[in-house]
Amino acid sequence: MSFPMSFDPGRFPVPVRDDMAAALRESWADVGRPGAWWTGPERVAIAGLARAERLQRNQPPWTRDRSRAPAAPLPEKAVEAARKIGADPMHLDREWADAVIAEIGDAPYVELASVVVTTVAADAFCEAMGIDPEPLPAPEAGEPTRERPDNLSDIGAWVPVQVIDWKRANVARALSLAPEGVRTFFRMVAAMYSGTATDFEKMVWDHRPLPRPQVELIAARVSALNECFY
Amino acid sequence: MLLRASSNAAGTEVDLSATVEDTADSGVENGAALTAFAEAVVRATDDLDAVRARALETLGPEKFVEAAATVGIFNGLVRVADSTGIPSDTMMLEGTADVRGDLGINRWAGAKASGVAEARA
Repeated sequence: MSFPMSFDPGRFPVPVRDDMAAALRESWADVGRPGAWWTGPERVAIAGLARAERLQRNQPPWTRDRSRAPAAPLPEKAVEAARKIGADPMHLDREWADAVIAEIGDAPYVELASVVVTTVAADAFCEAMGIDPEPLPAPEAGEPTRERPDNLSDIGAWVPVQVIDWKRANVARALSLAPEGVRTFFRMVAAMYSGTATDFEKMVWDHRPLPRPQVELIAARVSALNECFY
Repeated sequence: MLLRASSNAAGTEVDLSATVEDTADSGVENGAALTAFAEAVVRATDDLDAVRARALETLGPEKFVEAAATVGIFNGLVRVADSTGIPSDTMMLEGTADVRGDLGINRWAGAKASGVAEARA
C-alpha cells in the first residue's frame, strides 16, 4: 500500500519553494514517528486533538464539540494539554502547566507541545495558502526511547532548558526537553522564516523574497493576536 | 524589536501600534494587506478568502508564499513560548521597554514569565 506524498507541490495554488515543501514534508512525517515518550499513534492522536480544537477556536471552549475520542488512548491531562495549547495559547499559565506536568511528566509535556506546535504551524500555513489541512501522517510502529537529555537547568521557564554555551534566543531552547521536537519544529522555522543563523542576524534579508520589515510585521501581528508576550 | 530594527535598517520609520491596532498605518510597504491577512488567518474570519486574494494580488505569488509561511510558523512559535513559559530575552525586554506599556503588551498573560506583568484594566 502506498500513501500520497505529504505537502505535494501540486496541492498548492502557487509555487512553494522546494526547501520549504521538503521541510514541511519531513517534519510532518516526524509527527507520526515514535518519540522519546509517546508512541507514533499517540503522537498522531495528539496532533488530531490539537487540530480539531483549533478548528473551533472562535467558539468558547465549553461549547466546542469534543465528542470524537482521541485516535489513541491518552491520559486525561494530555488530552487537555493538546487541546488547550492548540486552540487557546493565550490562556496558558504556570499553575495549569504545573498540574499537567504533575500527571504526565515534564519531558512528555514538552514532547506533546512540540507535536502540537508543529501541527498548528502546518495547519495555519495551509489555511493561509487556502488549501485543506494536510491529512495526519500515518503513525509508525515502535516504542518511545524514554531518553531524557542531560545538562538542562532552570532559567525561570515552566520546564528546564539547555543552558550550556547558549547564545541564541530563549524560544529556540524552550523545547530542549524534547530534542527531536526541536529538530522537527525548527527545521520548519528555518525554512519558513529565519533561514540560517547568519541570515537571521541580518536586519536586511536577501535570502527571502519578502523584505524583513514585512516579515516582522506579520510576525508581530500574529504574536499580538495571540497575546504572546515573548 | 525585530520589526523596528529591520525597518530602521531599511530606512523606514515604523509605527509599532499597527501590531496591536487595526487602524494604524505601520509605515511598512503593503502593511495593511499583510496585517489583514495575518488577522484573517489567526481569527478564521468570514472574509478570509477575500483577504487572501487581496494579499496574493498585492504581493504576487512569491512574496505571498513567504507571507503565508510567516503566518503559519508564528502560530507555532507563539505556542512554543506560551506552553513553556520561556522568559523573554534581555535584549528584547530592553529594546521594547519604551513601547510595551503604551501598547498594553505588559498586560498580556505571558508577561508574568518575564517578570514585567501589569494588571489588566
